[in-house]
Amino acid sequence: MASEVNTDFLQNKKLDSIAADILKPVGITQGFIVWMGFLGIGLLACIYAYYIQFDNGLIVTGLRDYISWGMYIANFVFFVATSLVGMLISSVLGLIGFKWVKPIARIAEIIAVAFAAIAGLVIVSDMGRPERLPYVIMYGRIQSPIIWDVTVVTTYLVLSTLLYFLPLIPDLAISKGRIDHAPKLLQQTYEVLSVKWSHTSQQYKILLKAVRILLILIIPTAFAIHTVTSWLFAVTLRPGWDSSIFGPYFLTGAFVAGSAAVVILMYIIRVNYKLDKYLTSYHFDMMGKLLVLVSIVYLYFNINEYLVPGFKMKTAEAIHLKDLFVGEYAFMFWCVQLMGLVIPIILMLFKFFRKPLSLFVISIVVLVAAWFKRFIIVVPTQDHPFLPIQHVPKAWTLYQPTLVESAITLGTILLAVIIITVLVKFFPVIPIWEIAEEQNEADHKINE
Amino acid sequence: MSHNSKKTGEDEPGREQENTNSRRDFFKNFGLFGAVAAVGSAAIYSGYNYEESKPGHDMVKVLTSDNRIVEVPRDQIKDVKVDHDKLQKQGREGLKGHRFVMVIDLAKCRNARKCISACQGAHHLRPYEYHINTLVMQESEHTAPYFMPKPCQHCDNPPCVAVCPVDATFKRQDGIVLIDNERCIGCRFCIAACPYSARLFHWEEPLMAESDKGKPYNIELNIPQRKGTITKCLFSSDRLREGKLPYCVSACPNGVYYFGDENQDAVTNGTTKETFRLSELLRVNAGYQLMPELGTKPRVYYLPPKNRLFDFKEEKDPVQETT
Amino acid sequence: MIKRYFSLLLIVLISLRVSAQVWVVPAENEAKKSPFAFDDQSRKAGGDIYMTSCKSCHGEPGKNNSLPLVPPPPDMASAKMQGNSDGALQFKITTGRGPMPSFKNTISGTDVWKVISFVRSFNDKYVQEVATNAGPGAAVQNVKISITWLKEQSQVQATLTAPSKDKVIMPVAGAEVKLFAKRYFGNLLIDEPRNTDASGKAIFNFPKDLPGDSTGLVQLVVVPSSEAYGETKADTTLAAGVPTYLPPLNEKRAMWNVVQKAPIWLLLSYTLAVLGAWGFIIYVMLQIRAIYKAGSRKEND
Repeated sequence: MASEVNTDFLQNKKLDSIAADILKPVGITQGFIVWMGFLGIGLLACIYAYYIQFDNGLIVTGLRDYISWGMYIANFVFFVATSLVGMLISSVLGLIGFKWVKPIARIAEIIAVAFAAIAGLVIVSDMGRPERLPYVIMYGRIQSPIIWDVTVVTTYLVLSTLLYFLPLIPDLAISKGRIDHAPKLLQQTYEVLSVKWSHTSQQYKILLKAVRILLILIIPTAFAIHTVTSWLFAVTLRPGWDSSIFGPYFLTGAFVAGSAAVVILMYIIRVNYKLDKYLTSYHFDMMGKLLVLVSIVYLYFNINEYLVPGFKMKTAEAIHLKDLFVGEYAFMFWCVQLMGLVIPIILMLFKFFRKPLSLFVISIVVLVAAWFKRFIIVVPTQDHPFLPIQHVPKAWTLYQPTLVESAITLGTILLAVIIITVLVKFFPVIPIWEIAEEQNEADHKINE
Repeated sequence: MSHNSKKTGEDEPGREQENTNSRRDFFKNFGLFGAVAAVGSAAIYSGYNYEESKPGHDMVKVLTSDNRIVEVPRDQIKDVKVDHDKLQKQGREGLKGHRFVMVIDLAKCRNARKCISACQGAHHLRPYEYHINTLVMQESEHTAPYFMPKPCQHCDNPPCVAVCPVDATFKRQDGIVLIDNERCIGCRFCIAACPYSARLFHWEEPLMAESDKGKPYNIELNIPQRKGTITKCLFSSDRLREGKLPYCVSACPNGVYYFGDENQDAVTNGTTKETFRLSELLRVNAGYQLMPELGTKPRVYYLPPKNRLFDFKEEKDPVQETT
Repeated sequence: MIKRYFSLLLIVLISLRVSAQVWVVPAENEAKKSPFAFDDQSRKAGGDIYMTSCKSCHGEPGKNNSLPLVPPPPDMASAKMQGNSDGALQFKITTGRGPMPSFKNTISGTDVWKVISFVRSFNDKYVQEVATNAGPGAAVQNVKISITWLKEQSQVQATLTAPSKDKVIMPVAGAEVKLFAKRYFGNLLIDEPRNTDASGKAIFNFPKDLPGDSTGLVQLVVVPSSEAYGETKADTTLAAGVPTYLPPLNEKRAMWNVVQKAPIWLLLSYTLAVLGAWGFIIYVMLQIRAIYKAGSRKEND
């Protein structure tokens, strides 16, 4: 983001056409109602599932004393992971000065906000006593990584929301006169949220400074949120979790999941909103390259994570690794590693597979694999505690998620999709003023 | 010596069969304190005023909390308010000047599982819910199998306590790690952190949730047990407060358990009630701790299973058979 | 299969071996009799002790609910057990054999007889013979025991006295006494049982490393081994132990301790990090206000 803004772009005729393109889908359409209705009904069913769990206790899940963290925790890690991409794209790449991230930055922020917000809910779904959530603040022990996690997830959510909202302010001001087709309420919302933005250079100066602070601050916060999430496992003594590279291992994995999520959302927006002009094949190509890069880094950490203990085969680690490589979890493990990592890396090295549609398909596979990867990290370790599991019902030794549990997990995903849909449908998904400014500068250069 | 026998000779609730002796159950769970309290408050409820209006009656009918009507001499009725806060405070503070320690002699354990049933009876647990469990252990292929009772190790560097976000589980000055089920949020981080698999979670309504309802929560007994919270071995801290040995220790028929105070360098055998020097017992028998390499510093010691007086006989799993 | 056969064989052999060995009771013990007549009080007291120390293996007498051990602990009401003389029972309880522990140091001489009193209540044909008050080992009445701490020698001296027929206080000679140090859950036997000398004194070597309280005080108990001296015992607190003060285990700051006792570095870094991040967040939120104000000013212009 430039340190100064030339407000000439407001006079440029191109602003009108850009704004028209981007604002065209804003508002309530029939497709939107159908889609939201579909999500809403699904969500209701899932809320009912949660009611069952709330009423009967966690007995309705497949969790028991030995495997006491399952789908919910895996899902939580997945949500936190995916939300990290906001930091990677708008902050790291933006600050370095990559211009191509401009139209994508807001999409990445939407994902960050939605997934970070729901991550908090996901963790509540795993609690045996959800009504005691306030205790976390009332009696918080700052030695517990859970308290660190609560702190950083909240901070990250606020930062991401601000980072989504601040660059949106000028757009809201530009848009508020141009969305006559949208409902009145939305127009009023634009009016309020645009905080009397009048494109003065002083306002731009304040805005740029504030955004710059956020961009810098969000980097350590995002590192913290996923590192701390990895510590929920790494601070224990269990083989499979007791690893010193868990922080970076989780972080790089997060970038893979997040980038894939961004590609998916980009593609959906591009196709549905007909924004090919702004989300071009070039952007997909670049995102493909980014995905390859982060995937390779993640693969590197995977090799470290499995090869080193696999070389030594210490008693407890050996049981765990055998279970992953050739045992009960082998199918899922190899699917995740191959389909989610190795094959996508190979494919995306070729330009053909970085084209929008193929990248979209690859990203879906990567994202699904990313979810199962979290499952592989969370569940199998608990299958092999140090002391043998004896004299308990057989069902306790094998974790099988129940329907209720799956429905609640699905519900959290639906909720995230609902938040994304609302943000994508009611607000400009591509920063109008930044694109217009860029165009204006380009025009000037040509004129000169 | 008679003094000693008397002290430990009072009721041995752990050995009672479940549900056969409601009066004992009632007293054991509630404590005398709670009993007097319940009697007192119930008296007011069930017509204390009425009785008072009729002079000359020195017996009063009162309803106890286990739904029996009993007669109590009027002059023995005291209005005792059940002081929940006091139970909490004393439970969190622990016993001053003590460092409790357990020694388990593996040479003597023949898997009678009396410790388990006594514990489950005292803490209202299901047959497959263990504060203490006897495991069949075998270090490697060619070493002899043996039975190993495994309670919570009450570590001096407890990994479970370190991760608790709300101070629901804590370590007291006497070394005991307790759990406060009125605080626990049910995140199960402690289960993940415990390398000894010593903790369990109430996935559903606990066994006696219905009958325990309304009892003042005794953090040292963890009753009433609550759905959605953790429970674990408490070293029977309610019994220790009265100078009695833990439920499991006094229930063992084979002399497996010694329990005592590190500060006094003494442990008492639960079966014979004979007291020994802790340091000597560990020295002579080459006592050891479970997985000391993890740095958890357990307060439970094991004596190796050598010179066993019986043959190792693996029995069919009592739980797997029935479920 | 072979393994199972083998282990079965082993069990049989072990049980054969144990049951084949007859538990020989010395004639002297065999003939021993209770110093007091069994009555309801002794039966009740004995019953209490039985329930604590014996029931877990032998079950309740007459109910055949003893533990299924090898060899099986016999039911106390059985003809086999009741066939023992009182003296034989007393010998077996105090001595122990194999899995049957010795209760020598945990049930006092008198209490053992009370247990026997309880056990006999399940035998209708039993007729008690009480020990006669004559000969050696005859009962001595009103024994007094005093305990002194001999610091120099690190020894404890117990002195037994009793009034003679002429009511003159005389030392009790030749009595075996035991010294115990009180511990939280039971009494710890110190040194060995000692016999009093002609002056009624018994000297015990006291360990130099036994922990006392913070000032070294230890509660000591002296009990005569034989029931012939009645239920007498002495209970004195002396500074015989090592002064011991071990601080509470939750005193130090640690990751596992309560939040008030969190490590300083953690308290500091957590607080600073949170304050820092949220300071900037609040600053940014104030910037939104500044934008709003700047906009209002422009509107007014």
